[in-house]
Amino acid sequence: MTERGMSDQRWLHALGQELARHRFTPDVTHHVVAEAAAHLRDSGQPALRAFGTPEGYAAAVAESLASQRRQPRRPRGRVRLRASQITKRYGRRTVLKPTDLTVHAGEVAAVVGANGCGKSTFLRICAGLLSPDSGEVLVDGLLGYCPQEGGTYDFLLPEEHFVLVGAGRGFDRGRSRQLGRGGAATLHWDAAGDVQARHLSGGTRQKLNLVMATLGDPDVLLLDEPYQGFDRGTYLDFWQHVWRWRDEGRAIVVVTHLLNQLDQVDHVLDLTPGAREVAA
Amino acid sequence: MDQERRGQWLRGVLDVCVLALLARRESYGYELAQALDRAGLGQIQGGTLYPVLLRLQRTGLVAAHWRDGEAGPARKYYRLTPSGEEAVRRLSTDWRSFAGRVDALLMEEVTSP
Repeated sequence: MTERGMSDQRWLHALGQELARHRFTPDVTHHVVAEAAAHLRDSGQPALRAFGTPEGYAAAVAESLASQRRQPRRPRGRVRLRASQITKRYGRRTVLKPTDLTVHAGEVAAVVGANGCGKSTFLRICAGLLSPDSGEVLVDGLLGYCPQEGGTYDFLLPEEHFVLVGAGRGFDRGRSRQLGRGGAATLHWDAAGDVQARHLSGGTRQKLNLVMATLGDPDVLLLDEPYQGFDRGTYLDFWQHVWRWRDEGRAIVVVTHLLNQLDQVDHVLDLTPGAREVAA
Repeated sequence: MDQERRGQWLRGVLDVCVLALLARRESYGYELAQALDRAGLGQIQGGTLYPVLLRLQRTGLVAAHWRDGEAGPARKYYRLTPSGEEAVRRLSTDWRSFAGRVDALLMEEVTSP
């Protein structure tokens, strides 16, 4: 393949991912990509010149097809997570002023804010890993928590992690391995290898964390910037999984500093001092 | 001609031009781009043309189907629907009336003392 043919292939691949991000069905995505590919072959132009960036073209397509997006999802269900008037201090430093968050089944809440404003602290409190100084957290159902880092055991294999987490959720070894491998495959990762966690790359360790958090389909998912080290494709796939989990009726809280997903979430909890409002 | 203004003008009438070309016969994106170029409207990039086609398809003025090329790859062919044909008739009347007024105004401006 020529160098240009190669980069056009990459462009078309990126377009497919961008269209998926806009939540088009695979069918629509396929037709738009195939039509662009035919145009590139016919015109002999490089993709960037004919169509601009994949992001820009996908946005133009999205605008043209506004009414062909996926049907609105089901209405939200019952309350799965309710955090009320949570506060936390470390010594004399106030990390969290009274903070509330309610997430129903079938909703996604994004927790945003500057570094050090207490996002991870809030999530750890919701997960029950840390006690608040005041306030309470109610969780209805099985809970999965994915930390920002750590959370893996250096000398264990990925599958041994699955067995460990699966045991806590009532699955036998075989079922745990099966669920873990399945979850890993959706993140384009083959978890069957015999590589200890300490030898995995940072991005792959985060995939391991994410698979552990979601093993057995918890009702409440708490995800603390779980995509660190993911490549762009896996990052986009991650958000597709978030929307799918939501549509399946899970309650999801994602800590994120990336703003381009915020128009699609149900709640934004901004922990930046002075800016704390929950916008629906 | 000032390229930016030309682009602005074209954006306003590109869908009308595409409908007019499809009124002659069904066609696919790249062929339409070539026809627009030959008609003197300049090179229309795919990133501009296909969103217009998609919008026309969504609003029911054109229908599309995929057909294998004789030698090359499959292409998406567009043709007018009955409501597309009606739209072409209405739009060409509207355009002539609108352009005629602009013409008249410019003539007046140029010929008046």
